[in-house]
Amino acid sequence: MTKWGMVIDLKRCIGCYSCMVTCKQEHFLPPGMFWTRLLVSETGEYPQVTNQAYPVLCNHCTEAVCVKVCPSGATTRRSDGLVDLDHDKCVGCRYCVIACPYQQRTFYRDGKKQYFPGQSLTELEIIGKELYPLSPGTVVKCNFCKEKIDEGIRKGLTPGVEREATPACVTNCPVKARHFGNLNDPNSKISKLIRQRKGFQLHPEFGTEPSVYYID
Amino acid sequence: MKSYEWMVAYTPQTEWIERRGILIWLAEVSNGIGGGLYLVSLYFNSLLGMFLSWLIVILLKGGFHFAYLGKPMRFWRMALKPGTSWLSRGFIFLTLFIVFGAIQLAFSYWLPGTALEFAFKVIAGFMVFLVVINTGFVMNYINAIPLWNSAMLPLLFLSCGVLDGLAVILTIGLCGSNVDIMEAEAGSRFLLILNAFLITIYLWGAIYTGATGKRSVIELIKGQTAPILWVGVVLCGIIIPFGISVSSYFVGEASAHLLITAVIFEMVGAFSLKYTILKSALYSPLIPTRS
Repeated sequence: MTKWGMVIDLKRCIGCYSCMVTCKQEHFLPPGMFWTRLLVSETGEYPQVTNQAYPVLCNHCTEAVCVKVCPSGATTRRSDGLVDLDHDKCVGCRYCVIACPYQQRTFYRDGKKQYFPGQSLTELEIIGKELYPLSPGTVVKCNFCKEKIDEGIRKGLTPGVEREATPACVTNCPVKARHFGNLNDPNSKISKLIRQRKGFQLHPEFGTEPSVYYID
Repeated sequence: MKSYEWMVAYTPQTEWIERRGILIWLAEVSNGIGGGLYLVSLYFNSLLGMFLSWLIVILLKGGFHFAYLGKPMRFWRMALKPGTSWLSRGFIFLTLFIVFGAIQLAFSYWLPGTALEFAFKVIAGFMVFLVVINTGFVMNYINAIPLWNSAMLPLLFLSCGVLDGLAVILTIGLCGSNVDIMEAEAGSRFLLILNAFLITIYLWGAIYTGATGKRSVIELIKGQTAPILWVGVVLCGIIIPFGISVSSYFVGEASAHLLITAVIFEMVGAFSLKYTILKSALYSPLIPTRS
């Protein structure tokens, strides 16, 4: 059984925000909405200060609390481990937004928000409304670029190996800090990275078993 | 908070208290008042109280929740996951209460004193009990917010709901309905003490859930929401009504004006308590922060 997951190498990440921009472009996200974000913090005291950049996204948790709390069955966990959201079933109660300990869900409030208010829509916005229509009044989140994964598998490609079948944030990371693959395959690149470099999850104490690991 | 501090510092929940989230706050207050009033009305056998509470639960609680939904016309879908979702269970309890409550009201009006009236009183009473207590479970299920992740919350909301119900039934009694005012006052006195105790224990417990829980409590007692806690909850919601209640105990019977004043202050307390609990809910930072 496949279980898609991601490994993010914090040593490689340079905090360039290209994952955020790529994701926005890939899913035609409206202004102010991000499915992956970069959190930057500092630890220590001057002169020993460390700057840390943590890219965060939906963790596609194995024990996803958002799946459990969703009253309408809009949020489900697929057999391949992806936590999926059906906009046609979402009632917009935002219980999942509240319940996610990683705060990786966004309520899509205003469908009329434009990048350049008062002017005409940009080409990206026009194409986005046709190709990737988001439904205002529902919750949205990162889907690990499931369209690319599903289409890639249909074509016989391997997600995480072939670019065409791999999430956009992984393929467009200029320093190759992100890796994607099958967590259940002990020989996959990400399983090896987790084993060899002691991969860790964010807040494992919540018991959600995230599918996104970090290495540093 | 600054946008660059989002989930880097302690981050407050906003969806259920800011912008349209205000509707959730109003719905939760209506839930307490409506549900508590129904339970108290059953005890005092006040048909007017039962009818009012039934209306409050449907129109205010149900209405505010309905208005809050991003896709309100899909509301029926909320009944589809009772196995795991407390919100789904709450929707089912609410629907059952509306149905059984209507039947019970019809029996109480046209066929009072019958076995069927009693049976439906028990069923509707049980349903409204579940409706009131469910709000606490919806919130305490969320382990990402330590302030809410407490077993005390359902109990606190139930106790507050019954206290609010007593306040409203007192008003109904003062308006001429057949309600034992002395008994309602005695109940209020007891519940005011119980509530003060429960709130203290609840906050005390939240401190020991970890750094985020402690931070939430500090935010509550010293932060931006502190004036609402101290003035709204403690002074208006507990001290003033308790003072009036105790004075009436020694005087014999307090004037109607004084009792109405106590009721108004108690209502301010009910609104303030839910507001502070919703507003002070914090998430833990996702990454190591400045030491």
